[in-house]
Amino acid sequence: MTGTMNDTPAPGFTGHAFLRGMPADSVARLAATATAVSFPAGRRLFEEGAPAGTCWLLTAGHVALFVHAPGSEDLIVETLGNGDVIGFSWMSPPHEWQFSAETVEATEAFELDGPAVMALCDRHPDLGYQLTLRMLGAAVRRLQATRIRLLDLYGTPRPRAGAR
Amino acid sequence: MSLQALPARYRVAARAAETHDTVTLRLEPVDQPIAPHQPGQFTMLYAFGVGEVPISISGGPGGPGLVQTIRSVGAVTRALCEAGQGQVIGVRGPYGTDWGVTDAAGQDVLVVAGGIGLAPLRPALLAALAGRDRYRRITVLIGARTPEELVFAGEIAAWRDRGAAVHVTVDRAAAGWDGHVGVVTQLIDRADIDPAATLALVCGPEVMMRLTARALGDQGIPPGRIRVSLERNMRCGIAECGHCQLGPLLLCRDGPVVSYQRAAPLLSVEEL
Repeated sequence: MTGTMNDTPAPGFTGHAFLRGMPADSVARLAATATAVSFPAGRRLFEEGAPAGTCWLLTAGHVALFVHAPGSEDLIVETLGNGDVIGFSWMSPPHEWQFSAETVEATEAFELDGPAVMALCDRHPDLGYQLTLRMLGAAVRRLQATRIRLLDLYGTPRPRAGAR
Repeated sequence: MSLQALPARYRVAARAAETHDTVTLRLEPVDQPIAPHQPGQFTMLYAFGVGEVPISISGGPGGPGLVQTIRSVGAVTRALCEAGQGQVIGVRGPYGTDWGVTDAAGQDVLVVAGGIGLAPLRPALLAALAGRDRYRRITVLIGARTPEELVFAGEIAAWRDRGAAVHVTVDRAAAGWDGHVGVVTQLIDRADIDPAATLALVCGPEVMMRLTARALGDQGIPPGRIRVSLERNMRCGIAECGHCQLGPLLLCRDGPVVSYQRAAPLLSVEEL
């Protein structure tokens, strides 16, 4: 954790969009592993290739996910903000960050310790199920957004016959 | 040919490059100007000796001049984009339906633009900002491929100063870009929307408008409160030739601005 630790996570934690609809006992268990953090603009949250063990539920500000491009500027893949979750790589092998992340502006979040959450889910499968549903939902939304971007929505349209 | 179908001569008074392939022309009438326009309407612009194309008006209503933003995608639009100061071009119109932004009086206005789709929305935005007190929140969500391909980028700060919340997202950006990266529908997911009191005006490529309307629907905005600007092969502009037919609509007359309630069933029909 590289941010500034604040008070205990509730009550902002329980109202986070990512946790909407989660049973109160599961939220309470998760809250016990969460820490409210804040980061200044330009703070690197994680680095591509480094061990991944954390995720954040963002509550304010913006974080840019990016890849290093040798011989070129870094390329931003996506920006995430309030209501988003950032950090999936701790959930599955090789448990390494696939991208890098840096705050674009002052950012606030709830930080979850990946291994602690995983252990909690092992002990409480109901929580594991609820968390998996939400992580899957977030991943599906990102996948759909990525597919839409593949359409190159705003690109130069192909002229129809008799074109302009 | 009726008088309405005859082009009026306009002279290019100013030309501004928006992006590498998009230009905004300010046109002044040489003779009698065309009738005043409403936000969302289009004109037929005639590059003499090359051809004629429908182009949305991107300037606010009022005054004899016209502001039109053109993307170079073919022979005629290329000729128009290359038109220099003083060059005379033909103008017919204005044609079609308008955004009806005043229908949002006392409510929120949500403008969602993709790429050059911001051009036909700009008059509606300017009209709303001119009557700022008549509306609650004015939110503008803009998507573009890259920061370099944003049109009217130089005006965004002024729109914010005049009371609009403007959010921009791009598909690709290098480090240093401090806006969003992602699709415009993600901005909708993050926006604070009052679905019961919002009029959404959407313009961009058709796929973008469909996906945007779906995202707005997910937020609870009914299709009847979503308006889209549709484009087909407008030729005559006066609902006589039928080239711009979309199902029961002749878009030069019944569009370009159409309620999504009316447009939705038509946009999912192949080859329509």
